[in-house]
Amino acid sequence: MNLVRELVAMSTRDRVRAIQDLPMSFQEKKHIRWVLKHTGNKSPCHCYNLTSFRKCGSNVRSARQTLELWQGTMKEIGGKFGTSVLSYFIFLKWLFMFNVFSFLVNFGFITIPQLVIYITHPFFFKGYFNYTVMYYGSYSNETLIGAMDYKMQLGYFFTIAVYMLLCGIALIFSMANSFRKNYVLADSTSSGAWQLLCSWDFSITNERAVRQRKNNLRIQLKESLSEKAQHEQLTSSEKLKHFGIYLGSWLLSTSLTVGCGASIFFLCQYEIKAETLLVPFVVSLMNMVIPLFYSLFNKFEHYSSQRRQIYALVLRNVLFRMCILGVLCYYWMNVVACWESVVGQALYRLVIVDFIFLMLGSFFGEFLSNVVGTRLLPRLGVPEFDVARNVLEIIYAQTLAWIGIYFSPLLPAIQILKFFILFYIKKVSLMHNCQPPRRTGRAAQMKTIFTALLFFPFFLGALSIVGYTTWSLTPSEHCGPFRGLNSTFSVVEVWIKEVEAIPGSKWVVFIYQKVIRSEIFYFLITIIILIIVYIFWQVSQGRKQLIVLLRRQIVNEGKDKSFLLEKLQNLQKSQELKVRLERSTIPGQGLLRTMLTIGTLQRSRRRTVQPPSIVS
Amino acid sequence: MGTTASQLGKDTLSEYQELTFLTKQEILLAHKRFSELLTKDEKDIPNIRISLERILTLPELKSNPFRKRICHVFSTSEHKDGSLTFEDFLDLLSAFSDSATMEIKSHYAFRIFDFDDDGTLDSDDLQKLVNCLTGETDETRLTPEEMRQLITNILEESDIDKDGTVNLSEFQHVISRSPDFVSSFKIVL
Repeated sequence: MNLVRELVAMSTRDRVRAIQDLPMSFQEKKHIRWVLKHTGNKSPCHCYNLTSFRKCGSNVRSARQTLELWQGTMKEIGGKFGTSVLSYFIFLKWLFMFNVFSFLVNFGFITIPQLVIYITHPFFFKGYFNYTVMYYGSYSNETLIGAMDYKMQLGYFFTIAVYMLLCGIALIFSMANSFRKNYVLADSTSSGAWQLLCSWDFSITNERAVRQRKNNLRIQLKESLSEKAQHEQLTSSEKLKHFGIYLGSWLLSTSLTVGCGASIFFLCQYEIKAETLLVPFVVSLMNMVIPLFYSLFNKFEHYSSQRRQIYALVLRNVLFRMCILGVLCYYWMNVVACWESVVGQALYRLVIVDFIFLMLGSFFGEFLSNVVGTRLLPRLGVPEFDVARNVLEIIYAQTLAWIGIYFSPLLPAIQILKFFILFYIKKVSLMHNCQPPRRTGRAAQMKTIFTALLFFPFFLGALSIVGYTTWSLTPSEHCGPFRGLNSTFSVVEVWIKEVEAIPGSKWVVFIYQKVIRSEIFYFLITIIILIIVYIFWQVSQGRKQLIVLLRRQIVNEGKDKSFLLEKLQNLQKSQELKVRLERSTIPGQGLLRTMLTIGTLQRSRRRTVQPPSIVS
Repeated sequence: MGTTASQLGKDTLSEYQELTFLTKQEILLAHKRFSELLTKDEKDIPNIRISLERILTLPELKSNPFRKRICHVFSTSEHKDGSLTFEDFLDLLSAFSDSATMEIKSHYAFRIFDFDDDGTLDSDDLQKLVNCLTGETDETRLTPEEMRQLITNILEESDIDKDGTVNLSEFQHVISRSPDFVSSFKIVL
């Protein structure tokens, strides 16, 4: 009855949540609902509104579910390969949706106004590569005069700026969310048997996959046992050897990266016009081949945990790709004469060639190694789907699109097409060539790492390149929306000057001059943010200490309990002895009391595990 | 409130939505799949139970190593035979759905792993759990020595109050530290 009273006090929405959350059978929940309905609702009208509101919410949820893309495919993949491989496809789908959104934004606010201008001034159509709406160069600096004036310059600038801002916010939120769920709660120190036992994937439905998974789990359990036994047996000479190998492979991989960057740089200088496919071809080829070397190095190293191994591999690959992109960007920024369009074209080519290589990669990477593994060298076996490598590839593809957004606003359209086709290619390749992963990776943490990677090096890198372009580089004089300006950002200055002329808009000018253009403002903001971060850091440290203390308390209480039980048992034995000795007149009151106490203790232990008893 | 198995009324549907984590689509799909398991005559009987054997012909459950335990935990049958009514079936899907909370999921996982239904995971339960996961045949099982070591490790890791068994709150504590659990404790029709 207590439960009912608690539930009645809640609002309708909370109550529904609370009932859903009760670990009881359906009939019991139904009963509670019935009881609640008949124990007097004070405001039925209000309640009705809320339920209809909730219904609307759940309708939206189920409508979204019907529209869910690739649902059947996802289930099939999850059923056969488990959650860690599925996380790659979920990530791919997320990026796909993201690009659909960016395409809509760019098309709506940049391309449509431009098309309207084309229609009103047909002489703009010169029909050359530079003059399609794909690239920066073809956009004009005119004002679209209609019911409301639409300045192309401002439109272009603010669309890109707001788009980048929204991307950043979306990434930060999704990253923070999964960090909270997967890292803060997760205790990395205990990688014990429970992790393995709890990781059974209930969504796997394929008979063969189940058998394979059981097999893998057994091997992993055995490994975890032997690891624990062997852990301390590393001599210092072995340690030194491992360290030497790490150092060597890091040196080798870094020099490979630097070498590739240098060769791209010289290639670019040689290829002044940048109109052939040579540069994108070489870049994509390197992107495909170099990671293979890195995986090879990885085989020689001995890592204490698989996670460390993956981190090292990913870190090397990220460094490599960032280096190549950096060299390319440096080179692009130094082109003259309508350079924005040239950069746009170069990026466009790179995106296309990258796509071709992605397809080739899944052909060579998975199909060929399947053939080799099954026909020629059975020792190697059927390949596994390399989630880390594949994710890095699509993150790289997305970075290209982000860098290109300023130079070629319709690049997301290509990206949508690319990801759409890639999804099916990867699916087919996975189904035909790969076997389920041998180790149960930490799928949830994997997803966090993907998002963090997407944000930290790649999105921030792309953002700084676009920011640098708009802030300090001079736009070309003869093409593009920003022709004749000192820098892209000065479009805002010009606009502010115009705004100043309008009466009653002093505050806009004030905000612009005192807030956006003032260093003091940014300085203060930075300091405030630093202080807040420091406070939160302290709070989290305090909580960590509290957790340690609470754990100790639980352990102590457990010890207390066993100590008391032992004492009781001793007492009981001595009582029995006494009873046996005296054997006569006094009834065993002490014994009875002891028995009772033990009984209640045991009952209280039980009670913690039973579900709350049913109401009424 | 007997539901005829042949169709779902609007009121029942909204009641189901309110009491489970499932959406309308999911409930309708569940109903369709449940009805497919019934013969023609049974379709008109309210609150019909489907036997364990017939439930296990569903491809989603067929190869799951815990299939029998799952049915037993969610069954409300008085004979403890693991047979399910439609509402039991919904309860099952709700606990395994995407939007179910960690508490619900860990609670049912605990009950599934608690093979003797005594409310704690003792070493017998753990042994059965490990055997379930590695395979029941002699060649796939762990050796007794390995099993003993493994169970010692498990208890060392999770038995906070040192009473030799893992109770629900200890289990939930363990689960909260393995973030993969929520995403893998999932059955979708």
